[in-house]
Amino acid sequence: MTVREKAEQLGTFRWLEVFGMETLARWVPTTPEMEVKVLFGRHIWDLAQHADTLGKRTFELRAALHYTLPPVEPYRSLTEELSSLQDTAERVYGFYDVVVPGMAARYRGYLENTDDLLDEPSVRIIQHMLQDGVRMRQEAELLRKELTNIRLIDQGLVQKWARREAEVNAIVAHGSGVALARGAEA
Amino acid sequence: MSITSKRKVVREVTLVQDPARESCYTVGHTDADMASWFGDAKMSAAALREKLHRHMNNETGALEIAAQCLADFPDAEWELRMCLARQAYDESRHVSALYRRLRELGGFKGEFPIANFEWCITNLCDSLAARLAIQNRTFEAGQMDLLGTLRNTWRAVGDETTAQVLEHILADEITHVRFANQWIRRMVTQDRRLLLKVAIAVRLLADTNVALAAQVGEVNAAGQDVGVKKNLGNIAVNVEDRRSADFSDDEIQEILRQNGMSSIAATQGQ
Repeated sequence: MTVREKAEQLGTFRWLEVFGMETLARWVPTTPEMEVKVLFGRHIWDLAQHADTLGKRTFELRAALHYTLPPVEPYRSLTEELSSLQDTAERVYGFYDVVVPGMAARYRGYLENTDDLLDEPSVRIIQHMLQDGVRMRQEAELLRKELTNIRLIDQGLVQKWARREAEVNAIVAHGSGVALARGAEA
Repeated sequence: MSITSKRKVVREVTLVQDPARESCYTVGHTDADMASWFGDAKMSAAALREKLHRHMNNETGALEIAAQCLADFPDAEWELRMCLARQAYDESRHVSALYRRLRELGGFKGEFPIANFEWCITNLCDSLAARLAIQNRTFEAGQMDLLGTLRNTWRAVGDETTAQVLEHILADEITHVRFANQWIRRMVTQDRRLLLKVAIAVRLLADTNVALAAQVGEVNAAGQDVGVKKNLGNIAVNVEDRRSADFSDDEIQEILRQNGMSSIAATQGQ
């Protein structure tokens, strides 16, 4: 990957993290269960920190500070669909069993394709994000054990969403950003 | 449709509709709908659990307000959004800590009525500066005063565990009030029109408090005359923590004057 391609990848990851943060933020007041509000509230901060470190790293890669690149349309549509879920169980399963592992798969793909030495700052950031993702999923699992009423009626939904997520092979809209010069709008 | 666009009317005052709550809760709209105890009964086991239960719901409301600010103002400066995200995390931990303590004392969710006044009025404001002025700079700063007193109330009944919970919450609240004070100043400097919005929001809060104030003779869910509590004395202004939260000396003096402590205010200014 070139420096520009790396910036575009990380800018897209930043979009995903901000999307996750804003989705959980919208869900907090509209989800009835207190323990679920707390779970979402905790992870808003995790996602914000990820977005923050990614946004600083894009600047180091000669893009704008907090450069943010929306993903390709099919992926965007799926994220918008998931963020409009209303049912608590669908929200919890959709986010922690589809969105978070989907993001983790993209992050692992980046680690496999980058240079560990030349791009080590990005590698460290992403490794940290992956660890957080594991913890977030563990916390969601603990919650589901505690609140046994948080159960999906349609067990096939997760598989259906995960399949759609995986079908979008490349999510980065390469070359579409105008912000790859310092001082431009991110 | 955003949750904040829905309205309810309480005693002819229009407010934002309540956030989502579980069916185990009875959601009240005024002090008379709540269960609180005064006089000799205010330190009973039930009264103490009610304080924790009420506080737990208030922290839930603070979490919801911070989260809603993130959702409603995507173009706010990133550093401010980081502060709001951190606040959401802090408030989440406060809810968990209070819920844990409530259960240790034999309480449970829905044991007492709750109210979501802070959510219902803060989200009437359409600017982030105004929301910070009401929620962080007014309600949370007021909670700093309250916690400064309450931690000692719990110690007085020998409950150091709860006192420690409140000490930790207080430390976090100072940070939330401080970033609000700093960002309001910065935003108002950048756009003077925001000053009017903040002033209107503060006036709205004052007017609403008057309109919804308990009347003498009005009885609450615990059978207590809610009008009486107005005569039980004010919460002490937490001057030291307000300073840490970046209130200016002039602002602290004004708050002391409003609380009928003009002589102390004069001392603070010396």
